[in-house]
Amino acid sequence: MAAAVEMEKEEESPMKKGEEALERLRSADPPLYLTQSSEFARDARAASCFLFSSLVPFCTKLPVDRLLVEGFDAEQIWYQIDLLSRPLLSTVRREFKRLEEEHHSRAGLSTIDADGDGEEMVVEKDEISVDDEGDEEDGDESEEKGSEDEEDGEEDDEDDGEADEEEEEEEEAGEAKGNVVEDKFLKMQDLENYLENAEAKEYGHPVKKGSGRKEKDDDTEEEEDDMDLEDFDSDGDEDAELGANARYEDFFGGNKKKQQKKCGTVGKRKRSSTELDAVDHFENTDEDVEKNDSEQKLLSTHEKELQKMRSKIEEMEKANLDPKSWTMQGEVTAAKRPKNSALEVDLDFEHNVRPAPVITEEVTASLEDIIKKRIIEGHFDDVERAPILPSKPPKETKEMDENKSKKGLAEIYEEEYAQKTGLAPALLSASDKLKTEATMLFKKISLKLDALSHFHFAPKPVIEDMSIQVNVPALAMEEVAPLAVSDAAMLAPEEIFHGKGNIKEEAELTKEERKRRRANQKRRFRRLKAETFKRAVQKTGQSAVPGATNEKPDS
Amino acid sequence: MLKRNTRLRMEYLYRKSLEGKEREYYEKKRKIREALEEGKPIPTELRNEEAALRQEIDLEDEYTAVQKTHIDDEYATASEKDPKILLTTSREPSQRLGQFVKVCFCTLPIVIFHLELKLVFPNAARMNRGSQVISEIIEFCRAHEYTDVIFVHEHRGEPDNLVICHLPFGPTAFFELLNVVTRHDIKDKKAMGTMSEAYPHLILDNFSSKLGQRTANILKHLFPVPKPETKRIITFANKSDYISFRHHVYEKHGGPKSVELKEVGPRFELRLYQIILGTVDQQNEAQKEWVLRPYMNTAKKQNVLGA
Repeated sequence: MAAAVEMEKEEESPMKKGEEALERLRSADPPLYLTQSSEFARDARAASCFLFSSLVPFCTKLPVDRLLVEGFDAEQIWYQIDLLSRPLLSTVRREFKRLEEEHHSRAGLSTIDADGDGEEMVVEKDEISVDDEGDEEDGDESEEKGSEDEEDGEEDDEDDGEADEEEEEEEEAGEAKGNVVEDKFLKMQDLENYLENAEAKEYGHPVKKGSGRKEKDDDTEEEEDDMDLEDFDSDGDEDAELGANARYEDFFGGNKKKQQKKCGTVGKRKRSSTELDAVDHFENTDEDVEKNDSEQKLLSTHEKELQKMRSKIEEMEKANLDPKSWTMQGEVTAAKRPKNSALEVDLDFEHNVRPAPVITEEVTASLEDIIKKRIIEGHFDDVERAPILPSKPPKETKEMDENKSKKGLAEIYEEEYAQKTGLAPALLSASDKLKTEATMLFKKISLKLDALSHFHFAPKPVIEDMSIQVNVPALAMEEVAPLAVSDAAMLAPEEIFHGKGNIKEEAELTKEERKRRRANQKRRFRRLKAETFKRAVQKTGQSAVPGATNEKPDS
Repeated sequence: MLKRNTRLRMEYLYRKSLEGKEREYYEKKRKIREALEEGKPIPTELRNEEAALRQEIDLEDEYTAVQKTHIDDEYATASEKDPKILLTTSREPSQRLGQFVKVCFCTLPIVIFHLELKLVFPNAARMNRGSQVISEIIEFCRAHEYTDVIFVHEHRGEPDNLVICHLPFGPTAFFELLNVVTRHDIKDKKAMGTMSEAYPHLILDNFSSKLGQRTANILKHLFPVPKPETKRIITFANKSDYISFRHHVYEKHGGPKSVELKEVGPRFELRLYQIILGTVDQQNEAQKEWVLRPYMNTAKKQNVLGA
């Protein structure tokens, strides 16, 4: 027991110490802040620890669950506090606005109190705004005051939150009544409020704010980490918004937030820590809000279409960015597409070829008709034989001689036998003559051609003649000599020599033979002379030389 | 033998190359002849050459007046000699044979078709391809004086291609076969009876363009000269570049005007896709007379073989 008590005391003592420190700080004079006293500093640290730990439950996502003070710099401590305070500030501001609006909607119930509260809230807000400015300038001390004020503000929020719950309960009840007429657009409560406001304006009454101004929350929620001061909505602003810039959100945005708040408030009822869930909710970004909406499926058709469009657009954009499938690329080789993929795709070709004819009965019938027609006509396309050129000469027709032959049969046989054996020369008939002549000519020509064209020369054919050749040398008949040798060379010298007897040279002659030759010469000479004289006498008729008579000279 | 063949081929090619000039010449002479016959003035562009050409015209006889083309060279002996055809298939035509017996072998459509084609063409000899090279086959044919070789190709047993090669350096025509119906399929063997093997009459319908005439020529010269009174008819009918082959036997029962046709023999569609001026083994080197162009934008509108 004692230990437990001691434990409790120990637990409480840091808290108490912190509180005491805070009290001391509060009561201290301002000049004391400026002095450098370690005691004061210790107090300040303790107080800040206490405040920090008291605020921790209202804030999630904190890296530290208590303020680390020992051995840390002023800057570091300040940073830790900052980590806690920033989100808290924004949530607190939101809560203020919400409460303010809801507070004003409860016009008929407790106007005076609400107004009073509202004024208080306004005052407190102003204080906070002033404090915010102060925090930026000073150190830890001012921050503590700001956090202190936050705490106060939160306490107020708690109260207002409860009041809100009551409000919303009333509103729900009201809605259940007028369900037949009402829908998203038309709400009886809103209509009444509006009418009252209009009357009030007309007649100069103070205007009560109706529901449906929730759009401000949307706008403000979007500005999350803003340290700037926001202009809290005044009446004039609201009217301007309605009249000039009526938007979709004016009509439907409120529904979203309202529903969300319902959830939020439901959550609040369930949980003991009131602000935490609201904070959680309002810390969500717009995307989360949208997600919640899509899950709830209470969108209008237009919004649904928009969503579809958006998703389609996203898909298409994604498809455009991705590389195309192989079928959509231009010329694709086999290497660029997966194996056997061309078999799976239904390839479409334009065939420029006429398809093969299908043989129907009609076709065969038409063919047969053509055939029949042709047969009847007898018109066929057969191969025809060409007429052959006459290449042989016309045959000789031997005419029969009808006269009786003069020779007897025996004689005819005799002649034939003689021809065959070669005893009698063959008789040449006219045609035979021509033939032989022709063959002779031809043989000559062919001999010449052969001489021109063949390497092996065929000699002249031997023509056997029976004629006698005078000057053929005896040897030629027997001897086979080359033709290049002429006949002249073949004759022996004696056969060529025409002279007679024994021929002797001058040197070889004897004396008597010389005398005899001379005497012969003289006689020959004289004779010649006498003959020429005689002729000359005969020509002239007289003897020209006197003393010369016609006597014969001595022989 | 080889040298001789090459020499002949060179001569053929040379004469073919001269055709251009000869054609011009021929055209000029023809114009002059026409002008003279009709009594019109000679066209002005021929005035300079008119005298020389006129001389030549006078010297011409019926054989030299007509322009000789390489086609005439190719089919010069066709009218004198009967064509002798060798039928064969692509290599190893029955790849799904496996352990099948010969009977089963015979029931494959390609082989059946092959057998039937042999009956269609008179003077045809069938040869099993085995693993012979094309050039060997051509040499063999040249040695044995065949005028044409026909290859039948197949895809998974179904005949799909026909190559008709005319032999002494003649043209080769490549056809695609479609809608093949063999005799086997039409009716039972017993109902059909044996096929008549007389030399048939030919009908070549709607081959009106120049290329059509050329194809008609190629197809015509596969068949010998028939007797005028045969009852067997083979039809090649062209309709928008698809040539239908039909084989009928006819009878004239009730007088000259009534004809009864009885279909006999295989039926298929041919589609020409190439003609080359050479034999099959010169497929890469020889000049292509005509090639099908199916990817042209106007391919659908064209009727190449006529009408």
